[in-house]
Amino acid sequence: MKKNIKLFRCAVFALFVMCINSCTKLDETVYSSFITDNFYNNKTEVLSAVLRPYTHTNAWISSSGQVGYWRVNELAGDQLAWPVKGVDGQDNGNWIRLHYHSWIPDDPNIVWDPWRLMYTGIGYCNDPIANIGKQDIAKMGISQAEKDGFIAELKLLRAFYYLKLMDLYGNIPIVTQVGEPLSPPTATRAEVFKFIEKEIKDNIDKVPVLSPGLRGRFSKAGAYAMLAELYLNAEKWTGTQRWDDCVAACDALITGSAGSQVASGMALDPNINTTFSNTNGQTSKEIIFSIAYQNPDFRGNFNSDFFHFNQKFIYDGTFNGNNGIVLIPGVYDKYKSTDLRKSNWLLIGAQFYLASPTQPVLGFREYTGQQLVFVDNIRKNKTGSLVSDMTQGEENSGVRFNKYKPGKQSDARYFSNDWSVYRLTSIYFAKAEALMRKNNGVATPAAVDLINTCKQRAFAPADWITEAYTPATLTLNELLDERGREFIFEGVRRTDLIRFDKFVNTAWWDHTPSNDKTKELFPIPLRQIAVNTKLTQNPGY
Amino acid sequence: MKKKQASLMRRGMQLLLLLLLSCQLFSQTRSVTGKVTDAKEGQPLESVSVRIKGASTATQTKADGSFSIQVPPTARYLEISSVGYEPQEVQIGSSKNLTISLISTLAELQDVVVVGYGTQKRKDVTSAVTTVKSEAFNQGGARNALDLIQGKVAGLAITRTGSSNPNSGVSVQLRGVTSITGSLSPLIVIDGIPGGNLDLLQQDDVESFDVLKDGSAAAIYGTRGNGGVILVTTKKGKAGAAQYDYSNYERREYMTRRPDFMTAADYRAKIADGTIAAQYGTGIYGYNTDFFDALINHDNLSQYHNFAASGGTANSNYRTSVYYNDFQGVALQNNRKQYGIRLNINQKGMNGKLTTQIDLTTNFNKANTLGGGGWENQLNRIPTLPIYNPDGTYYYYANTTNEFARLNMQSAKRGQQTSAGDVRVSYEIIKGLKASVFGSIQRDSYIDNSYAKLLSEVSINSYGGGGRADKSTTLNINYALEPTIEYRTIIKNNHTITLLGGYSYQYNVSENFSVTNYGFVNDLTNENNISIGSGLAAIPPPGIPRASIGSGKSDDKLIAFFGRVNYNFSDKYNLQLILRHEGSSRFGINNKWADFPAASVAWNLMKEKFMSKVTLFENLKLRAGVGVTGNSGIPNYQSLVTLGTGGAYLNPDGTWRQTYGPGNNPNPDLKWEKKTEVNIGIDFSMLHGRFGGSIDLYQRKTNDLLFNYSTQLPPFIQSTIYTNVGAIQNKGIELTLHGTLVKHRDFNWNMFATASTGSNKMVSFSNAVYSASFVEFGGIGGFGALGNAIRTVEGGNLGDFYGKRFAGFDAAGKWLFYKADGKTTANFSGITGSDLTVIGNGIPKYYVSWTNDITYKNFDFRLFFRGRFGYKILNTMDISYGNKIYLPNNVLKSAFGKNAQLNDTYQYSDYYLESGGFLKLDNATIGYRFKMNNSYIRSLRVYASGTNLLTITRYTGNDPDFVNDNGLGAGIDSRGPYPSTRQITIGVNVGF
Repeated sequence: MKKNIKLFRCAVFALFVMCINSCTKLDETVYSSFITDNFYNNKTEVLSAVLRPYTHTNAWISSSGQVGYWRVNELAGDQLAWPVKGVDGQDNGNWIRLHYHSWIPDDPNIVWDPWRLMYTGIGYCNDPIANIGKQDIAKMGISQAEKDGFIAELKLLRAFYYLKLMDLYGNIPIVTQVGEPLSPPTATRAEVFKFIEKEIKDNIDKVPVLSPGLRGRFSKAGAYAMLAELYLNAEKWTGTQRWDDCVAACDALITGSAGSQVASGMALDPNINTTFSNTNGQTSKEIIFSIAYQNPDFRGNFNSDFFHFNQKFIYDGTFNGNNGIVLIPGVYDKYKSTDLRKSNWLLIGAQFYLASPTQPVLGFREYTGQQLVFVDNIRKNKTGSLVSDMTQGEENSGVRFNKYKPGKQSDARYFSNDWSVYRLTSIYFAKAEALMRKNNGVATPAAVDLINTCKQRAFAPADWITEAYTPATLTLNELLDERGREFIFEGVRRTDLIRFDKFVNTAWWDHTPSNDKTKELFPIPLRQIAVNTKLTQNPGY
Repeated sequence: MKKKQASLMRRGMQLLLLLLLSCQLFSQTRSVTGKVTDAKEGQPLESVSVRIKGASTATQTKADGSFSIQVPPTARYLEISSVGYEPQEVQIGSSKNLTISLISTLAELQDVVVVGYGTQKRKDVTSAVTTVKSEAFNQGGARNALDLIQGKVAGLAITRTGSSNPNSGVSVQLRGVTSITGSLSPLIVIDGIPGGNLDLLQQDDVESFDVLKDGSAAAIYGTRGNGGVILVTTKKGKAGAAQYDYSNYERREYMTRRPDFMTAADYRAKIADGTIAAQYGTGIYGYNTDFFDALINHDNLSQYHNFAASGGTANSNYRTSVYYNDFQGVALQNNRKQYGIRLNINQKGMNGKLTTQIDLTTNFNKANTLGGGGWENQLNRIPTLPIYNPDGTYYYYANTTNEFARLNMQSAKRGQQTSAGDVRVSYEIIKGLKASVFGSIQRDSYIDNSYAKLLSEVSINSYGGGGRADKSTTLNINYALEPTIEYRTIIKNNHTITLLGGYSYQYNVSENFSVTNYGFVNDLTNENNISIGSGLAAIPPPGIPRASIGSGKSDDKLIAFFGRVNYNFSDKYNLQLILRHEGSSRFGINNKWADFPAASVAWNLMKEKFMSKVTLFENLKLRAGVGVTGNSGIPNYQSLVTLGTGGAYLNPDGTWRQTYGPGNNPNPDLKWEKKTEVNIGIDFSMLHGRFGGSIDLYQRKTNDLLFNYSTQLPPFIQSTIYTNVGAIQNKGIELTLHGTLVKHRDFNWNMFATASTGSNKMVSFSNAVYSASFVEFGGIGGFGALGNAIRTVEGGNLGDFYGKRFAGFDAAGKWLFYKADGKTTANFSGITGSDLTVIGNGIPKYYVSWTNDITYKNFDFRLFFRGRFGYKILNTMDISYGNKIYLPNNVLKSAFGKNAQLNDTYQYSDYYLESGGFLKLDNATIGYRFKMNNSYIRSLRVYASGTNLLTITRYTGNDPDFVNDNGLGAGIDSRGPYPSTRQITIGVNVGF
């Protein structure tokens, strides 16, 4: 009996000692992912954090299949639409509301998603800016110059995010650190503008000029392009004209002083397809800033928005799409039949297998078992209906995207087209527009020259004679039309229409103008106002 | 007159005898003594009435159970009766000393109830604990052990969303929804192993299920008690002769309630009347195919064998069983073969002070998981298309997969082994003080193999015709170590106190590895020589995707200290107190630990003097309890900031490397969801145990609900943070009744019924920092991107369908919906957010079940009904396919029937909400028990059973029984559910 108690006491004591040591520890061991505490030890890790916001930028600046900046900036405009096509495209009415400008502050996709994507990306910039700043550079094996360069590059990329956020939402909070401050207040558009301008100017000389090794990254060239965009829209965004500043920023690029992604230097691409080809990262002279791709490591996802369900047969590739975005009826006819951009960048008519040119590509929905024929109208031809609106499409409705051609699946760089964000052509157009606007909206010879240089590439020499602009023919309205033809699918149309005062007062296809200036800004997402009382809703919402 | 004469004669005789024989031997009456005891417990019974049958002479037993009665020679029987016991007649015969044991009508009060880290007698239980024993198990063959108790426990919703698919589990939920993102399922404890794997349970190896329903009972399992606890006890050997038991059944399934799509003939009729273009009737469309039927395994036959050997002595016993099952689904390439063994040894030593229990079990199973899906694809395929090309190869076309070809051109198999072992050693240090150590390991590992042949449809479409091979392995190991110490003492005869203290350490680790490769030159090696695929080349050939490889590991730890006090006074009052202090590695650094207290009391009214006149009841017990439990069923590492991958990007050296950024917002305060539950119950038994039951009322509130709440963006990086904010409240009533309607030597009819009703409310969804006006659940899916069907608002019911109200069709067949004012109507584009409203609820309001067990001579019959009522189902199949817009692909006949007017695109509204209530004859069984008079065969029963025999419902879609009713997205039908089946089972149980 006594022995038993003794034994028991021993056992309890032993258990007690054991427990104190190890039996109450609840530390977590993370086996399969990284946590911030043990990251940032070498240059590769630093680079993986510096490059993170770029892959994220892909999600909203390109036609990525997500509801980002690109999608709302195009689908609210007068060139592209995503109509309901039979069983497809209803999508909670998102694209209809974009087309009608009838979005509301708690719209879960078209108002909230771009905000979410862009501010998350700002977080991806803020995080390494702080973390790299804190680290011992010797430990990481990078020089002070490299470190400063990384931080300056991230700040430029962050400025780009704010530039595009300001374009959509106008008055927004400015945050430069993760988690701080809590409840950041709304800054006015003018304040945001000032912040962006200062960030670019403070950092433009800390980053290198564009070179082949900096393809797909922010360099001095990208920074100038940003300034050009900022100043071109300055009057609209702040009420103050900055035409000379715009011209100066453009000139830095046009003269080639900001570098180039190809060895031969910055210049316009002579061929209209080079800039968008699957070798554009290696051959395009005019790309200033792009999202770099290389299938299968990382590739553009534009097939998702544009391609038909059986599109892969048309280009002998492997990716189809959701049969989504098409040209609004009439846009196709804005191109002259001699315009090479019409025949090269757009897809219309009966479709055949690329690998077997006499074999028709078949439909999938209404045209199951029948040849797919893309048409320049959006209506139910199958039933002979002539009603054309956002709800009346069929699977073959609308002229299609063909600007970026992924190439055949056997191509060495199949589906590896970089997504161009800024290209020299847009700088030519910006400078020309600044010159015109400075001149009370009347074209100067220099402006005409800039536009003609760009436009001439789209015509055979024989056709060009009748197409060249003169100071008389290049009106602001004509410039807007030409911008439409040149920059279609490039995610700039809403911004252009607003700058040309055509966004809320112009009718197109199924769109009736609201004549409501407040529609030039999207509302601040209601779900953010709900959690941050210091945010102010934009006027009109 | 005659009587008087007889009496005179008798008296004369007596006188004569008295004279003739010695008086010490014979008197007029004789004295019979005896003792009455309880049949089960053996203790003497006091105040039992002992009466001579047909006479007025009677006596009562003394405190020691003894009695003495004067018996006249004519008396043949004694009638023994006592409240709470079955009356008995005892033949007096020639014996003078009788031993009588009475069978309690309240035998169940003496039953042992498993309550976690110990057992209690039913009479001492203070909380809502339901026991289901093997006799009551559902018949017809279980695919999952929980099938055995579907409908048997009021408040426990068990749903087969995968119908009778042998590779699908069940969805389980007790007393409503208690979490948004955490686990909703009860904790399963098998013979003490927490988190026990149900694959290890065969129906003939299970002795009982004990379900701890309310928080005051479940608190002993604190952390994982929010969903309740199901304690499973397996069969043990008994002292006595060695026994063998063999069980076998064979089962066949027949498809019922096939979705009503057009047949090829219907389709051709629509071509003839011009609805569908003529081109879909000729050329490649010149066939008549029943694609759906092509996937059905008409020859399915499942079999089950279980062979058990058991036995024991006073100090040790054992039971072992081996089994083999081959479960075939009603679908082709959809089956599961398993075999395994279970072994249990119990032993007492050191003068009965040291007891040891050992369980070892393992299950090997091979599952063919290729089939059982693809129904939707086949239903909507144009029925005039062929399965084969004229040359005998499979016909592929872009719109939908040729599922029959897929079943023949691909493979998907899982080989799994699950094992568990546990040991419990207990030592009685001094009388009443017992120390135990319990340790267990459960190991679950499986290999998944799949292969798509070069000429399979998916290979041609997506893998450049090079095939695809996958191989992946997963290993999960769970360790538990739980030392406990228990002290039990009786003070002054009336005060029984039991004290339990313990420590629990649980560690779970999971690892996985997977590889996929493409681009094979032939189909000879399948997934067994995966490196020869060309997907591993630096630049794979055109169309061949790059090979991929992956691995992962995660672990978590639970540590707890717990104690329980049970106090019983004179069998009248019971009190139970529980405290568990528990920590989980999954929570934030600031909140790893939490306390889970509980208290409950019970009052046995019939033991009170003032109730002694009440004869209607034998037992009447009031119970009340309150308890706090938690939920740790969340993914690992949620409180830490882990860096997520962002896709590869171009590095300055020209290499594409993975990028990393913060994948979530940090939450060092992440803590337990805590549920506080109040439970009040009555247990009763009346009319000599012929009727009885219990009623329980509960109210539970789960606070600190974990959810991905909207956070400020900026300044945070991600738009949501996983944190504790909201609260859910559930209320309900549960009723369990049993009764013996007929009790006769040859004919018995017992009934068992359960009913429950409950409500689930989202009490709050905001606090000072985080807010959300609503959350949405229940993605509708299918065409039209219709979003979510269910919206839960603060203060509203869980499970509310939220959407447009149907107002009719206009002349052109376009949708019209009511505006908010209820009077005006508009088409889709005229409907705004403010016109949407609650249009129904998908969580059943009422659950009922009704079991009838009838025995007639050697026959036994069972009829088992089950039903759910008071809810709506969203008929998603009708949304997507009851619409002409999908032509020329195949559609439901309702497109030309009840939806004939519709000539518009897809919309979600109350038009597609239908009443989901149903009553089902779930099982009917007839059995025959042979009388065995030989020494070789102890018992023999044969039976036939039919399952899913009849469903009464107004729902026009699929079988409402298989529509998920648990969780936050309840009441949404599937567009391509596994077919509903009617099943016939024939079985035999032999004991020898």
